Amino acid sequence: MTGVDLAVPAPAIISASIAVPLAGAAVMAGFSWLLPRWARDLIAIAVALATTALTLILMASSAGHPMIYWFSGWRPSGGTVIGVDYAVGPLGAGMASLAGVLASAALVYCWRYFDTARGRHHALVLIFLAASVDFCLTGDLFNLFVAFELIAVTAFALTGYNAGHPAPLQGAINFAVTNSLAGMCVLMGVGFLYARTGSLNLAQIGQELTGRHADGLIVVAFALLTGGFLVKAAVVPFHFWLPDAYGSAPIPVCVLFAGVMSELGLFAVIRVWDTVFSGLAGVSRPRMQAVLLGFGILTAVAGAVMALAQIHLKRMLAFVTMSHLGIYLIGVGLLTPLGLAGASLLVIGDALAKSALFLGVGVVQHQRASVSEIRLRGRGRGLAVTGVTIVLGALVLADLPPFVSSVGHALLVDAADQADLPWTEIVIALSVIASSGAVLRAAGRIWLGWGADERSRPDTGTDDDPGEEARSGRLRSVPLTMVLPPLALLAIAFGLGLGLISGLAEHATAAAAAFSDRAAYAAAVLGPHGGPVPAGGRVAVPASPAASAGGVLTDLGQVLAALCVAGIALNRRAVWLRRALAAGTGWLRRLHSGLVGDQVTWLAAGLALLAALGQAALH
Amino acid sequence: MSRRARLLLFTAAAAALAVTLGAGLAGLPSFGGQITSYARILNELAPRQRHVTDVVSAITFDYRGIDTLFEEFILLGAVAGISVLLRPLSDETRQLPRDKAPDRAIPPPSPAVWLLAVFLSSLLVLTGLETVTHGTLTPGGGFQGGVILASAIYVVFLGTNYVTVERFQPAPLLEASDGVGASGYVVIGLLGLLAGASFLSNVVGLGVTGNPISGGTIPLLNLVVGVEVAGGFAILASEFLDQTAVIRTRRR
Amino acid sequence: MSVLAYGVVAWLFLVGIYGVVTSRNLIHLVVCLSVAQSATDILLLEIGYRAGGHAPVFVSLPAHLGPAVDPVMQALALTDVVVGAAVTALLLALAVQVHKRAGTLDPDALRATRE
Repeated sequence: MTGVDLAVPAPAIISASIAVPLAGAAVMAGFSWLLPRWARDLIAIAVALATTALTLILMASSAGHPMIYWFSGWRPSGGTVIGVDYAVGPLGAGMASLAGVLASAALVYCWRYFDTARGRHHALVLIFLAASVDFCLTGDLFNLFVAFELIAVTAFALTGYNAGHPAPLQGAINFAVTNSLAGMCVLMGVGFLYARTGSLNLAQIGQELTGRHADGLIVVAFALLTGGFLVKAAVVPFHFWLPDAYGSAPIPVCVLFAGVMSELGLFAVIRVWDTVFSGLAGVSRPRMQAVLLGFGILTAVAGAVMALAQIHLKRMLAFVTMSHLGIYLIGVGLLTPLGLAGASLLVIGDALAKSALFLGVGVVQHQRASVSEIRLRGRGRGLAVTGVTIVLGALVLADLPPFVSSVGHALLVDAADQADLPWTEIVIALSVIASSGAVLRAAGRIWLGWGADERSRPDTGTDDDPGEEARSGRLRSVPLTMVLPPLALLAIAFGLGLGLISGLAEHATAAAAAFSDRAAYAAAVLGPHGGPVPAGGRVAVPASPAASAGGVLTDLGQVLAALCVAGIALNRRAVWLRRALAAGTGWLRRLHSGLVGDQVTWLAAGLALLAALGQAALH
Repeated sequence: MSRRARLLLFTAAAAALAVTLGAGLAGLPSFGGQITSYARILNELAPRQRHVTDVVSAITFDYRGIDTLFEEFILLGAVAGISVLLRPLSDETRQLPRDKAPDRAIPPPSPAVWLLAVFLSSLLVLTGLETVTHGTLTPGGGFQGGVILASAIYVVFLGTNYVTVERFQPAPLLEASDGVGASGYVVIGLLGLLAGASFLSNVVGLGVTGNPISGGTIPLLNLVVGVEVAGGFAILASEFLDQTAVIRTRRR
Repeated sequence: MSVLAYGVVAWLFLVGIYGVVTSRNLIHLVVCLSVAQSATDILLLEIGYRAGGHAPVFVSLPAHLGPAVDPVMQALALTDVVVGAAVTALLLALAVQVHKRAGTLDPDALRATRE
């Protein structure tokens, strides 16, 4: 299907999608002392919503063919790319819109949340949004690196926001050290590819590498680029910074991180693979699939196990996020358009659900001055709406039909079947059941008062966090701006799943197919010098997978199983089971020491491993 | 992990990484050999097309201007982030440094130190301005010149004291310059769009090569970046100085 | 010549990471991180080097000039320096606050986020 005809010319919209948030951020950073408090919040939210609208328009109008836009007017000259381009496609624009939605929700939530920083957090959030849009739309490898670093810098600062306490500071340090090393790896990878191919443009690099054999330099470039992005995506063993950062960052910031930042790491991995490395001669697709799937499965399982072991609600959600990132990597690692489409829809649905969960936990922290599941036992009375939000969020994460994540899950299952890897579906199901079960267990303990009274249990690990409101001694009734956004996000997930956009599965699959087509991309970017355009093949989407009875039953089964896990976890008679599990996974818990030296060591080890595996897969 | 275990694992990983990096570096073209055609094309085109003599500036602000836009915002974001991280918190207060002995005044800086500070800071300001404005002709530009400009403030602090420094740089002025610099870049980019070309197109008159004002939007962008970087680093100086000299824990 | 020139990159990167892993002081850690950062800058500049080449500045040129070196890599290195400065500054600000709040600058003594 062709794109939507635009009344305003495309260049204006593409430029505006980054110019608007950047200009807004500059105004917030430079002139917030001029504006009254309400004006700052209003302008920031308006800018975020405008950016969301612009990227949604781009998503609609680029379906069918990518929109290539050359900055500063520098089109390729004689087959060599000189300038920097944006290659707008529906998948990238869709991720950018997701970033916009989450940023808008976070800014609304922030209305009564941040009060001592005079508009600078608005600037940081808006810069984060602009950088995410650039990250998703760019067609230039160095521009991708710059956007990567910009996202990182604003994220480091936002994590350490509550600078008066050691936990956010330590989280921010761990985050900053590991992720800036990741940035260095990415830059080295960019340098290696430039030295070999003479270009910084994704399409041109891919064209130069097509048909060539991968030697040591290409393998190392692959390992450095992919490894650097996998650090951002918090994949085992690069993930140790995530619980420290997400567990201590302010709640609205967690929304941005959990919903879109780590997912962008995976986006970059598959983007670089599809445009640059997939055309190498001698690539063994099954082996590369195995490498990515291996990392994905490890991450999904480790995240789920660690989530079950947490009583600190924010750290629990951090590990739930990590587990789901592993699932997306499984979808992406199948290296098929169907898998990528399923992962994309899962990313959207889960982002909305995870954000609702974080915002709900924020309300609990605001009202009860604690994020410890044990201390909050039975104290959920009076917060009924939030309780419903959290339970619903956990069920959506378990792929409750008809929310959009169940549509994504169905596509992912089909992709796994097509790739003859049905056992991955079991891994996905188990991880989802365990991580949602952990959240439901917490909800059951907090709202229903179930589970034994374990307050006598010695407190180990990360301390409880009573939140800024309690510390400043100002406990107010919970404002609507904190209660409504999570519900709104869940409503969007519901609407999308029900068919707010008709044929969502088909659109997603078409978008993924266009994303994965290296030759067509090169032709679109490089024009007549890009080589012959192959006849486009349509990827067959199995008829209405979302409505298939089998899919719905599986998803309902997952939901029920998650509820059972929660029930077992709270059952006083199952204490022997819990003790056995704790004993068996103690080594995994002890590895998460929160010490930056350990985390960097694992990063180095992971890079070496990735290089070795890449050598095997690219030959 | 115990420190020993960490060191063992790291040694193994580092050895493997050394081999890996070595394999990658071995695949590079020999040091000092041919440069890429992209580079050669730009070296030929830039002086002719943009009437500049410093090709690096042309690349930074024209051919790859969008990268520099985000780079500028990295600096803005870092400055905003540091302002957030080092802000006075709820249990802290701002208190100007005062001598604890009320019957004595803080001795003024010695004339030699003061004179040196005045001389050095003037020199730095001049050098900074020269670097910013001549970015199209010789190596330099907004980023480099902005840093030199901001370092003048450190020299003033070293030669005088905190109170003098604060008087020279009111916070709203610095923040405004930061904001003007950053939004200025976006506005200049939009000029291109309004003129019917792409975002960040060079649509202002190009001038004659070798003149200080040549290259179209490039010197304008240099100026704007210089303002932003100078303002940003000055804010940084003031934030870190505040932490040491001024911010104190509130005594209840 | 190539071995030595490119070997410096690997050496600096690994030594920087070694410093980060074994550091007992946050300021020392931040400086080690910039050592690793400089490795990436050197790599970029070395890729762009041309034997006998002059800087890509075409003013006041001598009569017999050789080729110019790669200007693109220099622009990239410039960006990398700015990025490095921004991250270093942020980490130093965090170190200042950690010293105030946790009373220590030893990264291995920070126990606020752990299992």
